[in-house]
Amino acid sequence: MRKILRLAKREYLESVKTKGFILMLILMPLVMGGSGIAMLLFKDQVDTADKRVAVLDHSRGMMNILERAVEERNRAAVYDPKTGKKVQPAYVLEFIEPDERDPQGQRLALSDRVRRGDLKAFLEIGSAVLHPRGDPSANRIAYHAENAAVDNIRFWLNNTINNDLRKLRLTEAGLDPARADEILAWLQVEPLGLLSADKATGEVREARKSSEAEAVLVPLVLFFLMFMMVMMGSIPLLSSTQEEKTQRIAEVLLGCLKPHEFMAGKVLGGLAVSLTGAMVYVTGGIILLNVAGLAAFVPLHVIPWFFAYLVLEIVMIGTYLAALGSACNDPKDAQNMMFPALIPVFLPIFLAMPTLQEPTSAFATGLSLFPLFTPLLMLLRKASPVGIPAWQPWVGLTGVLLATVFSVWAGGRIFRVAILMQGGPPKLSKILRWAIRG
Amino acid sequence: MSVVEIENVTKTFGEVRAVDSLFLQVPGGSIYGFIGPNGSGKTTTLRMIMNIFYPDAGTIRVFGQELQGASSARIGYLPEERGLYKKMKVRDLLRFYGELKSGRRVNREVDDWLERLDLGAWANKKIETLSKGMAQKVQFIATVVSEPELIILDEPFTGLDPLNLEVLKNAVLDLRGRGASVIFSTHDMNVAENMCDFIFMIFKGRKVLDGTLASIQDRYGSDTLRLRAEGGIASLKNLAGVEAIADFGRLQELRLRPESDPQKILAEIMSRTRLDSFERTKPTLYDIFLRIAGRDSGEAPDA
Repeated sequence: MRKILRLAKREYLESVKTKGFILMLILMPLVMGGSGIAMLLFKDQVDTADKRVAVLDHSRGMMNILERAVEERNRAAVYDPKTGKKVQPAYVLEFIEPDERDPQGQRLALSDRVRRGDLKAFLEIGSAVLHPRGDPSANRIAYHAENAAVDNIRFWLNNTINNDLRKLRLTEAGLDPARADEILAWLQVEPLGLLSADKATGEVREARKSSEAEAVLVPLVLFFLMFMMVMMGSIPLLSSTQEEKTQRIAEVLLGCLKPHEFMAGKVLGGLAVSLTGAMVYVTGGIILLNVAGLAAFVPLHVIPWFFAYLVLEIVMIGTYLAALGSACNDPKDAQNMMFPALIPVFLPIFLAMPTLQEPTSAFATGLSLFPLFTPLLMLLRKASPVGIPAWQPWVGLTGVLLATVFSVWAGGRIFRVAILMQGGPPKLSKILRWAIRG
Repeated sequence: MSVVEIENVTKTFGEVRAVDSLFLQVPGGSIYGFIGPNGSGKTTTLRMIMNIFYPDAGTIRVFGQELQGASSARIGYLPEERGLYKKMKVRDLLRFYGELKSGRRVNREVDDWLERLDLGAWANKKIETLSKGMAQKVQFIATVVSEPELIILDEPFTGLDPLNLEVLKNAVLDLRGRGASVIFSTHDMNVAENMCDFIFMIFKGRKVLDGTLASIQDRYGSDTLRLRAEGGIASLKNLAGVEAIADFGRLQELRLRPESDPQKILAEIMSRTRLDSFERTKPTLYDIFLRIAGRDSGEAPDA
């Protein structure tokens, strides 16, 4: 055991003493949450130049409504009331008489103006939008721009035009316009958790407001944290084993250690690297959430499971990656081996959202009990606010434990033979034969 | 007492029988030299003694016991190809290997060996900055720093300059002097002749020589004429009774046929050229090696 620990210590120190490791610890959360952080950082970085939109109103009834709406919007949103600084672009509408004789020619001319930058977009309102029925082209509101699908003006127009059209329809139907707002009032269905009773006092506790952060963000953060820690601790085992074999270090080490001790030392070193990273992030995360007054979001009941699954996942994946590395004779072999070897780690990423949406479905339950997927998917289910049966994480843990024992046994047999075997690139049939025959 | 006992050991790789029905006993406190052409089975035999390779048949006992894995702290092993972490510093690497082998701290021993092999100034340098000879010395220290009783060296002297060769040879002799048993393989017949108490030659997986240098030479008798002919090799051609001539430039060795008369051959030579010196002697190990391996120079693939 002392020799295993000595080898593990070297592996660990060689990884964590590098600048790369420190850099990775800093960069990983930035990469993982990069888009969110970027959105927060750059949310105020908007183009404040006025946006001119041409309007072809075939309905002949929208001009006044849109002019009023734009005026209100520009007055409210364009300038910061405190600083007076322009923070949003003003919308400028240019109403154009529709050319009924050559509508396509008019559309083409307007498209050219958009291309030249003269206009941001042009809007064509169908003749029957107030009473949509019959000819679909007459009911249409078309927004033409260079990137119409993701355009804030389109989103604004969509809401504004529809709200006003509905109000017009209600007025036409004889309702008091003052009541239109009340009729059209939109109420959100609030997401709430379940009520519970204090065991000591019997007092009923109010249900906590369920947020997307709790339902999606917390499980996903834990899920990706485990994924990254598995990558950090186990992937290097494949390449470092191959390097030690290629550089003949393996033979020297085999003069000091039994093959299974050699492999165990490497995997233990990788595990220690991952646990260091995980401890930094988990501890840092808890402190940050507490400081931010978000302590309620810390899933303390899941954290022991996180570490239990993480340890087993790294031993399970790390062992077979080290075994595969021992079968590789050059870096190219190791590169070719990397992708198929990591499929069990990558597949759960594609299964994460369906699992999170329906954590108690037969699909999610079944997949999370498959030992290769258990650590990531069971963790995801466990971290979800939806309660899963208490036996499932334990059964999953037992399955992973058995799979880990098998991985260590088979990996050790492959490693023992392959680490000194020179020759062609590793073949699956050969690797399986080593695992079976030893 | 034998430190290594090999009994009827066979090892096969695919279609190649790397070691075939081998018997060998290495006495304690001796230096045992393994010689043989490339791919003849030397490294495979050494790896089997280390239990890095397992024999297909037969048994190997080290210190009277069959090893379970290659982890015995009593054995030091220097593999044929050097295996050093290039990014590690010399002292750190030696401490790591020493502790891995012995399970204890070896700081003092590492510093002693570094000084002894004149590497003290390089202790804090990375392995990748060392010359080949220095790296070889570092690898040697890694093998012996844990003070093993049996030291197995696979071609330890290959590629060394004469100065470093002497340093390592003296270190090996010193270790033997302190009671360690040493097994090493070599292609340098002079080293084997001068250093080894026993010599073992393996050829195509089979043992072809085993014993002291004297006993091996005795098997061939005094069938060699070593001489310095002024006319060189040209003056020695087509001599009756001579089986083969080895030309070393200023020195020639004539291997005589069993039934030939050395006096007649000498007389014939003197009739052709002047002789600066001559002696009737036993064949050198080099010559014996060539006689055996030269019968069939086809090399077996490396195991």
